[in-house]
Amino acid sequence: MNLTSTAIDQLQADNKALADKAKPTEMPDAERVARAKHVFLKRMSIGLAMNLESCIDCGMCAEACHFYLATREPRYAPVIKLEPLRRFYRRELTPMRWFNRPFVRDINIDDLNEWQELVYDACTTCGRCDMICPMGVGISESVRLMREGLAAAGLIPEELRAIDQEQREKGTVLGVGPDQFTKIVQELAADGIDVPVDKDQADILVLSSALNMRLFRRSVAGTAKIMNKLGVDWTMSSRCFEAANFGRLSGDYPAEKTATLRIIDAAKACGASKVIVPECGHAYMALRWEGANMLGERPPFRTLAISEFIGREIEAGRLRVKAIGNGKSVTFHDSCRLVRHGGLLAEPRIALRALGLDLREMESRGRTAICCGGGEGGIYISRAQTLRQRAFEIKKKEVDETGADSLVTSCDSCRYNFISNGAKAGWSQTVEGLVEMVANNLAD
Amino acid sequence: MTLLDFARGPGLQWSLTIMIVGLCWRVVGVFLGRWRRDLSRPRSDDLVQGGLRAIITRSAPAHDLEKNIRFQHYTGYIWHIGFFMTVLLYEPHIAFFKSILGFGWPGLPSHLVVIPAAITLAVLIMLTIRRMILPVMRMITRPDDYLSLIIIISALVTGLMAYAHIGPRYETMLALHILNVELLFIWIPFSKLAHMYFWLLSRYRIGTYFERKGVKA
Repeated sequence: MNLTSTAIDQLQADNKALADKAKPTEMPDAERVARAKHVFLKRMSIGLAMNLESCIDCGMCAEACHFYLATREPRYAPVIKLEPLRRFYRRELTPMRWFNRPFVRDINIDDLNEWQELVYDACTTCGRCDMICPMGVGISESVRLMREGLAAAGLIPEELRAIDQEQREKGTVLGVGPDQFTKIVQELAADGIDVPVDKDQADILVLSSALNMRLFRRSVAGTAKIMNKLGVDWTMSSRCFEAANFGRLSGDYPAEKTATLRIIDAAKACGASKVIVPECGHAYMALRWEGANMLGERPPFRTLAISEFIGREIEAGRLRVKAIGNGKSVTFHDSCRLVRHGGLLAEPRIALRALGLDLREMESRGRTAICCGGGEGGIYISRAQTLRQRAFEIKKKEVDETGADSLVTSCDSCRYNFISNGAKAGWSQTVEGLVEMVANNLAD
Repeated sequence: MTLLDFARGPGLQWSLTIMIVGLCWRVVGVFLGRWRRDLSRPRSDDLVQGGLRAIITRSAPAHDLEKNIRFQHYTGYIWHIGFFMTVLLYEPHIAFFKSILGFGWPGLPSHLVVIPAAITLAVLIMLTIRRMILPVMRMITRPDDYLSLIIIISALVTGLMAYAHIGPRYETMLALHILNVELLFIWIPFSKLAHMYFWLLSRYRIGTYFERKGVKA
């Protein structure tokens, strides 16, 4: 058994204990409903209102959703996941509310409890439905508002709530804090890989994540090898290395803001012009696309995903890799957050081509790539695993159809999901991380 | 005042007024909401181009998405095209538009317009039955959806009956058809039929939203 599979077993064992660690959020039912409504009201914008005004109930979104496609369960249709928000909007906010009110039932605690499963277990906010909607409704961002409402109502699923509480209260995620970080840096140093830590000034601040450190240390090592090979002025912060943002995953907006501002402050403190996010789709989303909104202005640095950074450095000729060749074929999984919500379609492929690999694309790729089923915190929710496994089968089929020797991805959550769900399905597919592939084949 | 006089006179004026005021109320009301400015650094500089592109490309989804929605996709095209052909190319309709706009345009012979009208009617009935049968459509469907379908279907039925001189005497049938269309005018701003103008706004908006991230949506 190698390090990763041992680490995965340990992480899965820890996941099972998460539910017991979650502190209860007790409040009267009426307050839960009032809090959810308050968030719906406070966060409503013209764009979100447009989403809720434009839906024609055509049902096409269902045909893009991996949870619906895997189960044919009507309630997993993306538009259904918005129902409490739509009802609130139709009763309280639309300009036609005075007409709608007698015909639209108010939302209640039973609705919120029922929709917890639909928006956390049965939706990864992957946004594939956003791509199919003939009206251009942004369904995934509306589901995010549903999550924020439920989070404010204290209805985050226990496992996610436990991690969210841990990050909010201790600043650690899945038990990984400064001590563990220092230990890993020392282990890397023993292997001859130097990681500059806590430099006063550096051009690049590199982040990592708990998942990165617990499961894919070779990815951490690979990042360091690449940065050192490039000879750039970089550092990692022992106090602020965590890119994962469980506030964002849970819909806990205040916690999301705290975690994001923490990174921005660390980057400002060392005068970084770039911040590199590890192989983590949602962390990229949180910092690259929401960081400025959390701060209230554009931060004085650029945020890049590690795959984006690598692709650009290879394209610019600053990073040279050896062609692996030997006819090895790979298929690349586009993480929803990095590609559909992040636009990073080309960069990882630049790296794969530079490695001389036979890239075989899946039927659904790029902006229409089908989700692995594990995103947006879903991999931690125990009760969702059977459903997620079924959704995963769709992805597995697309991967199998390529006949590729290896499945490559640049998102740790996706990778973890592929490995853990693949093991349950008896899947023999090799799954690799992009950073490791590049780092293992750096040209002299 | 006969029923036809009412339909052609105050009925028409009031229904058009309600539709126009209602549409303005609904659109302006939405735009009076809070504008959430996105401060992130855009990957693309041309958000407007992304918005305009989405208005066009949303009419034809990518292949791997389209394969699952072929039926809805093509029936949607068929009935919308048939409906607008019927509305815009039937000579008596053109005469009606001319009386309001002051100008007209060439139409199709009446017996040819019946064909798209009949096809539209058939497709709409089929889509209504589909809504009632398919579990996912049944769950999604609200009373608004059925009411909108009933009003449009009945406008087509009364129009075809008036054309074919079926049912009550012609003047009465014509009045019923016009009243039905006026009901449609009134219903538009209150219902999902408001997508007749929201489709442009929401497609444009999603286009700019994803263009910012460098994604062609």
